[in-house]
Amino acid sequence: MDREQLKLDIKVQIIKYLNLLDYNPEDIKDDMPLFGDKGLELDSIDSLELIVMLEREYNIKINNPADGRKILKDINNMADYIIEVNYKNK
Amino acid sequence: MNIYVTGIGCVSSIGNNVIDNIKSLREKITGLKKPIFFDSKYASEFYFGEVNIDNSSLIKELGLKNEKGLTRTDLLSMKAFDEAVRCANLSEKEISSIDTAFISASTVGGMCMTDQLYNDANLISNTKDFLSSYSCSAHTMKICKKYQMKGISDTINTACSSSANSIMFGSKLIRSGLVKRAIVGGVDSLAKYTVNGFNSLQILSKDRCTPFDINRKGLNIGEGAAYLIIESEDVIKDKTCLAKISGYGNSNDAFHASSMSDNAIGITKAIINAIDIAGIKPDDIDYINAHGTGTLNNDFVELVGLKNVFNNNIPPFSSTKSYTGHTLGAAGAIEGIYSIFSLLHGELYPNLNFKTPIPDFNLSPITKNIQNANIKFVMSNSYGFSGNCTSLIFERINNVY
Amino acid sequence: MFIKDTIAISPQNTYNNDIFSSTIKQLYGNKFLAIEPEYTGIIKPNQLRRMGRSLRMGIGCALPLLRNYCNVDGIIIGSSEGGLEDCIKFLNQIKDYEEGMLTPTNFVQSTPNALAGQLALLTSNNSYNTTHVHKGLAFENALIDAKILLLENKVKRLLVGGVEEISNYNFNIEKSAGQFKDKECSSSQLIYSNTKGTVCGEGSTMFILESLTGNNNIKINDIQTITFPTEEELHNTAINILKRNNLKIDHIDILIFGMNGDIRSDYFYYRMMEQLFVNQSVLMYKNLVGEYPTSSAFALYLAYNILLKQYVPKDIIFRQEAKLKYNNILIYNHYKGIQHSFILVTKENC
Repeated sequence: MDREQLKLDIKVQIIKYLNLLDYNPEDIKDDMPLFGDKGLELDSIDSLELIVMLEREYNIKINNPADGRKILKDINNMADYIIEVNYKNK
Repeated sequence: MNIYVTGIGCVSSIGNNVIDNIKSLREKITGLKKPIFFDSKYASEFYFGEVNIDNSSLIKELGLKNEKGLTRTDLLSMKAFDEAVRCANLSEKEISSIDTAFISASTVGGMCMTDQLYNDANLISNTKDFLSSYSCSAHTMKICKKYQMKGISDTINTACSSSANSIMFGSKLIRSGLVKRAIVGGVDSLAKYTVNGFNSLQILSKDRCTPFDINRKGLNIGEGAAYLIIESEDVIKDKTCLAKISGYGNSNDAFHASSMSDNAIGITKAIINAIDIAGIKPDDIDYINAHGTGTLNNDFVELVGLKNVFNNNIPPFSSTKSYTGHTLGAAGAIEGIYSIFSLLHGELYPNLNFKTPIPDFNLSPITKNIQNANIKFVMSNSYGFSGNCTSLIFERINNVY
Repeated sequence: MFIKDTIAISPQNTYNNDIFSSTIKQLYGNKFLAIEPEYTGIIKPNQLRRMGRSLRMGIGCALPLLRNYCNVDGIIIGSSEGGLEDCIKFLNQIKDYEEGMLTPTNFVQSTPNALAGQLALLTSNNSYNTTHVHKGLAFENALIDAKILLLENKVKRLLVGGVEEISNYNFNIEKSAGQFKDKECSSSQLIYSNTKGTVCGEGSTMFILESLTGNNNIKINDIQTITFPTEEELHNTAINILKRNNLKIDHIDILIFGMNGDIRSDYFYYRMMEQLFVNQSVLMYKNLVGEYPTSSAFALYLAYNILLKQYVPKDIIFRQEAKLKYNNILIYNHYKGIQHSFILVTKENC
């Protein structure tokens, strides 16, 4: 899967896992903040949901929730991290 | 209208009855260990406060051999209930009277049978024994049936403040004159359901919990049950009274589903309301049995709340969850009974495993067993998910000795 | 305490329409599902996404009331089971992923006090907040709690309600236990079916209760519960609640009874109306909403509307006696013949 495809896939999964009823994948911009007052406005429970999503869908384990927040900053960061981990594993 | 505690019953990981609980508290013996009876993937990974008796022994002890569908939650609650009514010398007639309320609490109820519930809910079970055992109220109904209790009966579920709220509701029922006495408390038993739930929130500690320590890593889940018999001054006559319930307060933090606000709005308001009902001043509180779960969020915010109310004169405090673990729906009642021990015996129980204070406050809980303490008012705090905050105030009765 | 206002989501068109002016919806099956409104105008999508049925229905009724009546001094909910669908979703996760990494949302949302907590959160309300879960008396206990709170002078206005959802979890378990009829049933036949079991219902009914009388003077005079009564104790309880409120049997204009079509336990109602209350109109309501532990909240909703509008829809009449004016209504309900309750509702004449 190339980077663009991966990013689209992440968006689809986020919408599924968080049940974002009023979002389509194209509504989530690659550099849109996922947490905080702007962007998707997700909260701490969502971050735990996304950590589970990374494990179930991309086989990536994050043991420290604080690391999770950095990786889950936006779609770009998530895609980079998934690619990096997959590269290392190869 | 004064409300007196005339009986107590308690089962936890540090003792199967009231006396054994006191002994463990005095001797600093923790109940937190790898569980023997609890079946879960996490049994070997985390520490738990497991009650040291198996279900079949409980059934034997309670003389319930022929009953079907009993869960560990039912059995623990019946054990503590029986001890409390014996302690208060309540007759069967008094227990079943329309003037006696029974207010219990639980968060997991019969869902401690997580696998059986899965089978029943998905229609793949080969037994029908447990169909009416799962609800939070199932244990209350079974006790009501056993004693043919006719009066006001209730089960409260406000997550981890549940049994503090059952004590509060029972007290209000007596104060309003609707009943003359109430049996109040709660129960929870170890369950895959709750252990996996708390684990999914990443707030379970792999070590024994260290409430109020800078390096605290989360909570340990415990189990247990506790009931108090509380009676109106009109009916106690010459009974031995253990303590008075002087104050209670509840407030919602209105901040987050599973964590507390940084400025401790709910905690502060619950404490102020309880002090107000008791008709005392913050300075009158001599000791606080804190909620102190050992999670990053709870212990920090609880100290903020104490600062808000007591400024720089925070009374001695400790969390006995370092002995029992977090017994969830039973915690408020178990810790209420520990508060009564403190008043009865003039002793304060230490917060185990504490080393270094949180720098923002530089506040240390009690770490040694303190004897001969002259204490009149003890406050017990309980906080639950969905922002539910409750504080109770127990008062010493002078003529008890 | 006085009922200031009420909103219900039920298997009837109660939310946007007045069931008193339109026809009652005929239902068929073994589940009477609530008609849920379009929530988008009431709950933000970002909040709605996590809510299961009971939370949605509870918030959908309560939030408009909390917005209309500011400064509520307490939120008291009765809900026997809370978010059951979330509960079973989490349970299934535990099994399917063998206690592995699980998503916390279902766990957090499944607790019955999630509704009271969310309502506090959405309206920044720091006042008294509690949840009663005692099966068939969960709503009655919420009312008793409210009554005590309103007697304390400081408190003037409360949100009190009952909510329950149908989920596969409770339906399967209750069905296995014989609670529901083997065959599907229509709402018009339910009460007269003469067979074992009833139909599974659900709904959310929320009230604003106040200590002082408002413009409509509809008052909850008394609530009395009794568990495991003998029939004699039960009838005495009914008589006592009237006595305590200086009423005689003839002062009761309407009875709202909770018949659910289960021949094993409906006899409590029939004997009560044959032996004690022989001259009153008797209304039924479970043909409209099915059976669920907090269904008496819907009976109270009907009582309020009947006293307010001085009108009784014909589909709920079980036994009719002519009356010019309705002042006193006694609600009697029981859950599985074990938990019984009476609620006395009165329109005070100014």
